This record gives sequence, structure tokens and C-alpha cells, in this order.
Amino acid sequence: MGGLEKKKYQRGSATNYITRNKARKKLQLSLPDFRRLCILKGIYPHEPRHKKKVNKGSTAARTFYLLKDIKFLLHEPIVNKFREYKIFVRKLRKAYGKSEWGTAERLKDNKPTYKLDHIVKERYPTFVDALRDLDDALSMCFLFSTFPRTGKCHVQTIQLCRRLAVEFLNYVIASRSLRKVFLSIKGIYYQAEVLGQPITWITPYTFAHDHPTDVDYRVMATFTEFYTTLLGFVNFRLYHSLNLHYPPKIDGQAEVEVKPAEGKEYAMDSESYLEKLSALSASLARVVAPTQEDDVEMDEFPVEGETAEQMDARRKEQEALEKHKKLFEGLRFFLNREVPREPLAFVIRCFGGQVSWDKSLCIGATYDVSDPSITHQIVDRPRVEQQVVGRYYLQPQWVFDSVNAKLCLPVADYFPGVLLPPHLSPFVTEQEGDYIPPEKLKLLAMQRGEDPGEETEEEEEEEEEEEEDDNDKDEEEEEEDESEKEEEIKLKKMEEQKAQSNKALPVKVTAGKVRLEDKQRLEQEQQSEEKRLAIMMMKKREKYLYKKIMFGKKRKIREANKLAAKRKAHDTALKEEKKKTKKARRA
Amino acid sequence: MRGTGRGVYVGVNGRGRYAACKGGGAERHVALCVAGRLVGWGGGSVCTGWAVRTVRVLQPRGGAFPAFPIPETGSAYAVLPVRPSPHALPTAMAAVAESLSFLGLTPSARDPATAVRRRNRGPRNRKKGWKRWAGPEARLGREIGDFLEDVTLQQRVAGGLIAEQPDAGLFFVDTGNAEKGRKRKNKIREKPLHIDLVLQPDSKVPPPKDILSHQIPNGKKERRRRQFWERLAQRGVLPRAERRLQTRLQNAAAPPRGPPREKAPEKGRVDPGRSFYDIWADDNPLERALVGQDSWFLQQTQKQRVKRPPRLQQKPSQLPAVEVIAPGGSYNPTFEDHQALLLKAHEVEVMKKRAEDKVERQLRFPTAAEAPTAETVFREQCEGLLEESEGEEEEEEEQKEEAVGGAQPSDPPRPPLRPGKKTEQQRRKEKEARAQELRRRQEKAWRCRQQQLFRLRSLGRQLRRWEQELLRRRRAREAKRREMEGRPRRLGRIKYEDPALEVQLSDELAESLRTLKPEGSVLHDRFKSLQKRSLIEPRERAKFKRKYRLKYVEKRAFREVTL
Repeated sequence: MGGLEKKKYQRGSATNYITRNKARKKLQLSLPDFRRLCILKGIYPHEPRHKKKVNKGSTAARTFYLLKDIKFLLHEPIVNKFREYKIFVRKLRKAYGKSEWGTAERLKDNKPTYKLDHIVKERYPTFVDALRDLDDALSMCFLFSTFPRTGKCHVQTIQLCRRLAVEFLNYVIASRSLRKVFLSIKGIYYQAEVLGQPITWITPYTFAHDHPTDVDYRVMATFTEFYTTLLGFVNFRLYHSLNLHYPPKIDGQAEVEVKPAEGKEYAMDSESYLEKLSALSASLARVVAPTQEDDVEMDEFPVEGETAEQMDARRKEQEALEKHKKLFEGLRFFLNREVPREPLAFVIRCFGGQVSWDKSLCIGATYDVSDPSITHQIVDRPRVEQQVVGRYYLQPQWVFDSVNAKLCLPVADYFPGVLLPPHLSPFVTEQEGDYIPPEKLKLLAMQRGEDPGEETEEEEEEEEEEEEDDNDKDEEEEEEDESEKEEEIKLKKMEEQKAQSNKALPVKVTAGKVRLEDKQRLEQEQQSEEKRLAIMMMKKREKYLYKKIMFGKKRKIREANKLAAKRKAHDTALKEEKKKTKKARRA
Repeated sequence: MRGTGRGVYVGVNGRGRYAACKGGGAERHVALCVAGRLVGWGGGSVCTGWAVRTVRVLQPRGGAFPAFPIPETGSAYAVLPVRPSPHALPTAMAAVAESLSFLGLTPSARDPATAVRRRNRGPRNRKKGWKRWAGPEARLGREIGDFLEDVTLQQRVAGGLIAEQPDAGLFFVDTGNAEKGRKRKNKIREKPLHIDLVLQPDSKVPPPKDILSHQIPNGKKERRRRQFWERLAQRGVLPRAERRLQTRLQNAAAPPRGPPREKAPEKGRVDPGRSFYDIWADDNPLERALVGQDSWFLQQTQKQRVKRPPRLQQKPSQLPAVEVIAPGGSYNPTFEDHQALLLKAHEVEVMKKRAEDKVERQLRFPTAAEAPTAETVFREQCEGLLEESEGEEEEEEEQKEEAVGGAQPSDPPRPPLRPGKKTEQQRRKEKEARAQELRRRQEKAWRCRQQQLFRLRSLGRQLRRWEQELLRRRRAREAKRREMEGRPRRLGRIKYEDPALEVQLSDELAESLRTLKPEGSVLHDRFKSLQKRSLIEPRERAKFKRKYRLKYVEKRAFREVTL
């Protein structure tokens, strides 16, 4: 035979992995330091495919790292800094123990520090890489900036997070890149489009929140430490892409406005600067003064293999986007003190609106309640005393809903004291055949430029009221029956249509295109015929698959119909209840 | 020196006054004076600064010879018990006079050199020798020693001679005890701590100055160097460091190249006022030194960073960093969305309840109907006994039958084990048999192959079937992997568990934004998201573990309380 004896676990996957403790020993670091290093360097534990082989026969659950990753960590300069820091702490403790205050001071002056700049560059070789990973960084910074300064983490970290978050908000305002807002029970979700990358982040509500105990604060602080560095560099680049000063400077004339007029000292200039910035009411100074004709027509180059239709669609999209960006342009808002100031100011400013608030609420108020040019006043109380003529009093949800709907919604639903329409999530995109709630349908119709639901409903209501007055129930029932029938017919039609359309069929065929009906019908017939033939020609296996898919689709539609019916029942129940209450009130 | 030396007053004892005269050399001389008159010279080898311990009389002097003016302050002696009482003074003086007369200090005294010779016993440079030596000088020496000890004691205790103390330092005016009574209250507080008393300096003699601490090492050399450079400076020659400083200052002053660099302490990575730069630009400070350099040059001269392996650019999970809550989690959701979310939360709760119930059911105490009766207990105890015996019997029978039937037909004579070598013939035969077997097999294989030519179709079918099977397996594997990819990995002892769904019940929903009560915590959400994306392993908080058991002791005060 000959040759050396092969031993177990000396080859293959057992040698590719290393347990956490071994890795820690190899790096000569304590466990917290090791954990910090891994987080900073972006090295994560790995789950081996064959645990028993890697674990040398044992099946105990362990944390494994790839050996190559750990070898890569060995070259990291901040490992040495960690060791130095450990020695520094030891020396300092000794000096304190011996009451050598001078030594302690000297040691403190020479405290070893490290920077994460090179790691940022290493982990994100290009700016786009960094942008793609910004979700986490933003969420973390916004979260930490709301922490109380009670020693859960360093005060400096909180301040830095606040500064970076405010800078980013100011950038989003300046670039008008906000797209979606969603008020959830957990926090506020935002989505912005920065240089073509969608960036989503969540901010907690500004209410005092209790600290959960089952969260490792040290780990979170380490992540934040890295993300603050990342966000700082990203902010710098973003500001420079817009020709803005970094660190941000408030525009000269805006600054004058922001300054408290009565000569009362608010705070020291250096202290109040961040607050002025975080008021989000002033625009930022640019490195180069903006020219008047800023919006230059973009030259359009047709992309290879792009049809005129696609180009048209693209242009339309672009126009819609531009319109969306200027949603609140020319509107002047005033925020009452009971509404959340920061999110509202941020959202309004992102879409070109002007916003102010009570002077005592926050720095940066630019105009007073009594200003006659105010168009919208955001109010969140059941009724408003002393309404000023010439402005709408609205609940804050109007702002967010309008942003999500990409148009200024009719204000009637949002008057103070009125039961609000539901706040829909803009992050949900309905697939074909999904159930779409009637609110959303209405919204979609409005986006398309139609105005169907609103008036008819109102009319209906009026009619209903009249009917009530007449006590003519039969008619109403009939009408309802009719409408139900109509809806059923509609649903059936939809079902048929959906059943017919398969994957190959383009969805847009039925969407309102100006064509001769005969042609369309002919085409349709031909297509359906072709499809039928194609189905006939299918192999058994493929036919089976096809049937399965179609069945799934049908089931989906059925479910959607069921949901619609349920909703209808719910609505009618509500209506009847309303009627009863009305009657009771009248009686 | 003798007689003309500068006198230093030493002290007084009850028997006389002494003055010490510091000599210029190593030897110290003491002038012995009695009642303001110099009576002789003493010499001491054991002199430590002021405190002259033992003095040997060297030369008695006769005749009235005023050496130093010694102040007469004898009246102070009466105060301290350390001192001899004023009544004792005359007797002491008498004793001195006696000793003097014995010594021959009177004009009529004999010359000590001619006195009766006594045997010297041993050396007299130590006290032991003195004790043995009982001459008049010895006595005087002892007296002087005692006196000097007394002087040092006074210095230690009173900071100087008591005789020289002003009256205020020794007496106080007693004005009755009116104040005493008032002060008594604070006495406890005024009393210093024992430790302070212990640590107070014992002696009032100030410690000697440490001369060495005022000396500069290499002082002479330094001074000479300084003088040298001063001389050179007068001629206009400056040291190199100074010249460089001057030139740098001049350079900085003359052309203002760039902004004045102020060396502010570099701000740390978490300093809220720290600055940032364009890290993705070509000339960022991180790589400014490396830009435009030859790669070979860099490789030889610079320590280069290890490249990050591209495998690390991939994240362990493709899940989005921020997962948006379901539409039912809106603060003002639509009816359906809210119901859907509630249903989901309900299902989670049902699953939890089911698991709980299962455990409870397994641990429940049996009810009366299920409880074991005497019959069931007996049956349980007999379980398997009866049936087993039957089965065994059958088996045994079967085995017997087998043994009987199996032995008869197959009874080949076993080939006897050959302990020895095979014969040549046997080897040959075996070899032939092997070759034949091989040939037979080859032939068979060839024949099979020949036959396969006619089975081509079925073979192709088989192959295709096998390939399809492989493909199916691969697809299944991939599907499974894809499914597993979305799932959080198992990274440690503890499994990842989804956080509880944030949901508000229908009656908890807020009417307006003002009345909204937030549910859940963003911090918790972020932390769980990190775990879900396998960026950190799920851990549980370390539990506090006591090393030793607590010992419970009832305090006496507690025990004494009776109710």
C-alpha cells in the first residue's frame, strides 16, 4: 500500500472552519473585542454544511467562522489598537489604584484611538456600494439619535448620530428625493431615492420609549460606531453632489429669518446651529450660487432595443416624478403644537412646501399663525376654535397620504374631527389578481385622473339621506341589489378575463388604448384561438403544469372576490349602524 | 583654635553650664563652664551636630577665665519637673564644686598628670570602658553625657532650652473655669484622632536640610557649557537646533504658503464635531501617498493592506435590511389589512398555545378514569411474560426442526484445515482455476456487450431516465437551498426566533395621530433584524451565577424582637 496514513479531520471542511473561541485565541483578543472587530470588518459567522464533520465528530452547536476570514482579520491594524487599549486600561487602573493622578492624566492624554475610515473604504470600494447598504446605517443613526442621554451609550455617539441624521434629512430635502412615507404603529418608514438607489429607513416616534432589556447594547453600539463613520462619508459625498457646503451651512438670507428677531439670546451660536439645522425650515447654502434656469432639458438618447412606446412610458414616468417632487410647491403650512413637528416639516419641505410653527415650539419658525398667506394648517384636535378664513384646517394624515398618492388629495376627508380614511401602506404593490381594497381603487382612479368614486359616493349618500327622509326603503334595497348584481357581473367579467390571460399575454392589451374595436376584438379572438390550440398541442406534463398555474390564479381571484364580498358586508353593516344612529339621533 | 573658637552654647544642667566650641577640624571641643566661668576643655569623638553625647575632659583650666557670656536664666528652672527643683540647685552647685575640687580645679589642686597612677583597664573610647573606668574624668564625662542627653531632650520636647523660653511659652494665666464649662460640649469633636496624634512629629528639632536635594547633577559641567555657548553667542554663533528653529520661523513668516497649520488634537471617530472627507475620490487622504506611484516601488517600500477577499462582499442573507411592517400595521389600517394581521398574530398565538397544552397534557396528573386500578397494575406487571414464553417455545421448536432438516441434506465433509504449505500441484491448479474464471468473465462481458447492440433503444431510455432523475435531484437540492437561504442560519447554541408580531387590537387602534400609542420597539426590531440576516448569532443574556452559596444568619437584634 504505502503512503502516509490519512487522519480524520485533517482535510476538507474540517480545516476550512474555525470555532469562535479558537479564532479569538488566534487573534489574542477578548470576546467583546473579537465581536467588535468582526462587526467592524463585516465578518460574520458561517454555518457549515456538514456540522459534524467540521466539529470533529461532535454535534454540539457552535459558532464557526471561515478560517480564511480569520486569517484576513489577522492583518487588520486595529487589532493592535485593541491590544493597546487593553494595556492602556490596565495602566490607568494601576495609576488610579496608586493615586498617581499625574500619571493618570498623562495616560488619558495619550489614550490610544482608532479610526474606521480605511475599513469603510475597504468594505465599500465604490460609492454605490455604500448607498446600497445605507438602510441599516440610517435606521441605526435615527434610532440612536433619539436615545436619552442616560448612560445606555456614550453621549458623544448620540450627538454624532443626531448630527448625521439631521444632515441626511437636509440632503433629502435639498435633493427632493423622498418618495414614500408610512406611519406604522412601530415607527415611521421613509423611502427616498438617492442617486437611483431606493433607500428605506425607519425612525421611531419621538415619544419617550422604554429600553428593551433583551437587546445587546454593546453590539448595537458597535454597529452604530461603524455606521456613523459610513454615513458621514456618504453625507459628504451627497452634499458635494448637490454643490452644497459640508458641513452644511444655512443659506444667508434664511439664516437671518431663522434668527430670533427680538434679540433674545436663544443659545450660543455653536450650540444652536445644529438645532437650526434640525428645524429643517431653512435651505442650505450652495458652494456655487444656483442659476435661475436650473432645470435644463435632459438630452434623451434612445437606448438600444428600446421601442418608442417604452421611451414614451419612460418620459411619462419622468414627468410624473417631476410633478411629484413639486407636490406642495407654493403651499404654506402651519403646524399646530400637537402634531409631530419633525416628520411633518421634513415631508412638507421635501415636496417644496413652506412650513412654520409656533415660535415657542422650536427654533426656526419663519411666520406666525396669523399670517394670512397660510394655506394649510395642520391640526390634530377634535375641533378648532376661531378658524381663520382662507386656509384649510387638516389632520396630519393628509400630508402623508397626499405624498403617497402623489397628488394633493381632496381635503374634505381630513377635516378636524372627521373619521379619517385608512392610511394605506405605500410599500405594498398589488400583483395582478390580488384583492385591492376599495380605498386603494379610488386612489388609483384619482391618480389616473378620473374622479369617479368620490362624487358618486357622495351622491349616493345624499340620495340615501333623501330616501331616509322619504322612508322609502324598498327602492334603496333594490338599488343595492342592483349594485350588487352589477358588481357580481363585473367580478365575473374580471374573473373570465383573468382566467384567459396567461403569462405570455401582455397585460396592457386591455388597458385603455385607442384602437378600433373591431380590430381589437378580432385580435383577441385570434389570440384566444391560438391559445386554445397551443393548449391542445401541449405535452401532458406541460399541460398539467399549466392547469396547475391557472388553477392557482383562479383560486387567487376567488379569494379576492371573497374578500371583496366580506368588505361589502362590513361596509353595509357599518352603514346600517350609521343609519340607525342617525335615526336615533333624529328621533 | 582652642579658646579662640566660635562658641556655641550647648546647655545647662543642674550642676553647671557648658558651652561647646566647634572646632575647625574633625575634632570637636567643648568648653566646660560652670557658673559662667570656663572651667576646662572637653573633647568628644561622639558628636552629632548639636547633640554632643559624651564629652571627655581634655584639659581642666584653673583660674577665673570668662570664656563666653552665658545668660543667667536660672529662674526658669523651677517650672518643669524634668529640671531639678530650685532647691536642688545649690546642692548641685556644691556637688560640682566638690568635683572640681577633686579634679584639682582649685588653685591648690594637684596636677592630674602627677596624680596617683591607676591602672587603665581596657580602652576608654566606648561607654563600656568608661563604666569600668572609675576615675574622676570618667565621672565628669558621665555627667556631661547625662547633661547633653538632657539638653537634647529639652530640644526635642520644647524646641529649645527651657531656660531660654520666654515666660509666655511656659506659663499661662489661669482665669478660672468659666470658659471651660462652655467648651466642654465640643470637646469630643475637638479631640484629634489617635492616628493623627501618632503621626505627629515626635521631636521639635527641625529635620536637617537635605543638601543633596538642592544640588544639580553635573551642575559644574552644565554651567561651563552654558558659559561656553554664551561666549559663542556673543560672537554670533548659535547652536544647530536654534538655527533650524530660526530658519523655520523665518520661512513661515516670509511666504504664507497655505493656511497656518494649527495642531489641534485629532478628533476621535465618535466625536460629534469630527470632520469627513471624500473617501471615494482618487486623492483621498487614505491613499494620497500611494497615488501615481509605481506598483513595484510601493510593493518594495510600503506595507500594503491585504486585499479584502471578494467572497466577503456578499452578505450572508439576501433579506432587506429594513423590512416594512405589513399594511395592517398602519396606525390607521384598512379593515382587511388589519384583520389579516390579526389573523397572523392569532395563528402564532394558537401555535404557542398548542405547544403549551401539549406539555401540560403530558405532565397532567391522571384523572380517576385513567388512574391505574389493581387490575391494570397486575396486567402491566405481567406484560410480556405469558406471551413471551409461548413465542419462545415456538421458536425453539422451529429451531429444532431447522437443525434436524438442515443437517441431513447438506453434509459435505469439511475440508480439513491445512496447517502446512500448499503443494506445487495445488498452486498450479488454483492458478489455472483463476485464469479460467477470468477468461469466463471476459467472455461473458463480451457477449453482453454484443447483446447490448440489440438493446440500444432500451439503453438509451435507461440513460435518459437516469439523467432525468439526476436533474430532478439537482433541482430539488437547489430548491431546498433557496428555501434555506431566506431562513436565518443556525449560528450557535441558540436558535433564532421570530420576534412577537406588533399588532394593535381593534379597540386599541388610535383615532388620530395624536392619540397613537406606539407598539413594539425599533431598537428591538433592528436587533432582531441583524439576527435574522445572520449578521450576529442569537445569544441570551449571561445569567448571574453565584460562586458560593449565600449563608443566612439571623442577627441578634432581629432575633430579640418578640411580638
